[in-house]
Amino acid sequence: MVIGSRIVEAYVGEYASGKSEVAVNRALELAAAGRLVTLVDLDVVEPCYTLRPIKRELEQKGISVLAWETRELIGLGETGNILRAENRWALRRPGDIILDIGYGVEGAKTLALLEDADTDPDLQVYAVINIARPMTGSVADIVQYVLQLGGIDGLINNSHLGDDTDLAIVQEGSRVVSEAARELDIPVVAVTAVTELAELIGPVDSAGHPVRKLVRYMPRTLW
Amino acid sequence: MPEKPIQGEKKVFVTGNEVVAWAALAAEAEIMYGYPITPQNEIMHYWTRTIPKFGRRFLQTEDELSAGFTTVGGVLAGRRAFTATAGPGNILMQEPLSMAEAMRVPIVAVVEQRGGPSTATVIYSQQEVTLTTLGGNGEGLRVVYSTATHQDLFDYTIKAFNTAWKYRFPTFVLADGYQAKMRESVVFYDPAERGIKMVPTEAYVGRPGMPGVDRPPMHMRNTYNMEEELYEVLQEYLADYAKAAPEIEEHEAFDTADADLVVISHGVVSRACKMAVQELRQQGYKVGYFRPITLRPMPEKALREVAATAKQFLVVESAQGQLARLLKEAMYGGTAEMLTLFKPGVGVTSEEVVARVKEIKG
Repeated sequence: MVIGSRIVEAYVGEYASGKSEVAVNRALELAAAGRLVTLVDLDVVEPCYTLRPIKRELEQKGISVLAWETRELIGLGETGNILRAENRWALRRPGDIILDIGYGVEGAKTLALLEDADTDPDLQVYAVINIARPMTGSVADIVQYVLQLGGIDGLINNSHLGDDTDLAIVQEGSRVVSEAARELDIPVVAVTAVTELAELIGPVDSAGHPVRKLVRYMPRTLW
Repeated sequence: MPEKPIQGEKKVFVTGNEVVAWAALAAEAEIMYGYPITPQNEIMHYWTRTIPKFGRRFLQTEDELSAGFTTVGGVLAGRRAFTATAGPGNILMQEPLSMAEAMRVPIVAVVEQRGGPSTATVIYSQQEVTLTTLGGNGEGLRVVYSTATHQDLFDYTIKAFNTAWKYRFPTFVLADGYQAKMRESVVFYDPAERGIKMVPTEAYVGRPGMPGVDRPPMHMRNTYNMEEELYEVLQEYLADYAKAAPEIEEHEAFDTADADLVVISHGVVSRACKMAVQELRQQGYKVGYFRPITLRPMPEKALREVAATAKQFLVVESAQGQLARLLKEAMYGGTAEMLTLFKPGVGVTSEEVVARVKEIKG
């Protein structure tokens, strides 16, 4: 994988795999390195529940966040939603772009609504995998799921059990996700874990995949 | 033969709606009937996503009336069938559920409570307690399990099928929108490996042999010609229910023996109450915790035992006294004072419970 001067990453995956947490942390990591970063909330099903509650906090940390404001919304997800105009053109913004795309296989199709999504040379689409999610619990299930998503450039092992997460689930996740990645012939881009566990693993895991530290922001959102 | 959906035990990280779908799979449910309504939709989503692999079935009907009646039909045909709904859907479902009561049809319904009255919010409440326990134009001959954790949801969804088929009363698993969408870890297991045997199902209709010759005719009725006929049937049903109730009743309690004040709650609110009681105990308050797991039948004997020693009850719920009403009926004649913390349609935190107890105790 060649990363140019511009980083453009889309995070997709099974409902509750941890896409938003991984995307938020990635955006903050890049911003902390002094880069210009835009984080884009592309959950069109439940836009009220994802980045919106922490939007201000994230902006104060130096990233631009493209997400709905409460007052702009006319109803919950089930009443139907439209793609926010600014989000549609997100790929034409300067600097790094991190796309947080909600709601599994159907949600991933939202990416196609973005201008330049099919031509952007830097765009990398990563599937976030948590092996504690029953639909992506085994190598076979992950392979099938990622093929359903289509167009995936890499996998991220974000295996966890919420507050009950331990090193065992992260390491088992690495093993299973690595095997799935081999079958799919795509790389494991990173392993993500909360800071305490990430420090136990070190900068790379046993298979040599880079470890990214996660600070949990999402518990402060609704889901 | 398709493989078992869950082999051995596995700790997973899931939403409550997923838990229900997987529990129904583990309980060998054969078919779900349903109509979409938030916040139960993902039960249908996950059921339909997983069933092709396991040879189970699904029918989406045109509304909840049909979902309820087709579930009754599925059970009459001998299928281990279930449905799930919420709010206004639960209202519509009361007619088929009354029919299930009338015919003693063991259907299982999962209710994810949302705000009320009417469409209100898609999010959360405990306002479907009255409807779920006593809805329908009958005597509430049904069983209602109120779950607090994802593990409860898994355990009691499996149990609901056995209670329904053993006693032949419609059985509900009562949860709420918070539980439906919330994620936490839970242990999935194969019931057989825990020694849980699923009560076998049997067809009510289409049995072999000539009716009236080889076997008695199956005459299932939800209509009677004369008042006395209905009365006689109901006496039998009521006696069956009274006999079954002590076997079905369940509750959870701690620190009640020496408690001056016992906090009573059910479902997800009991998680806040549990934390509050533990915290208050550490601070030296003589408080206890009681949680009815079955809201119908209410664990009356256990409640009366607590009522015999406690001076005060604090009833906490996300409704305006729907649990309190059931408790008053169960404890009629008791002398304990009944105090309340009602927050209809919104969640209750442990801090609020602690503050209310301190307000009472001074």
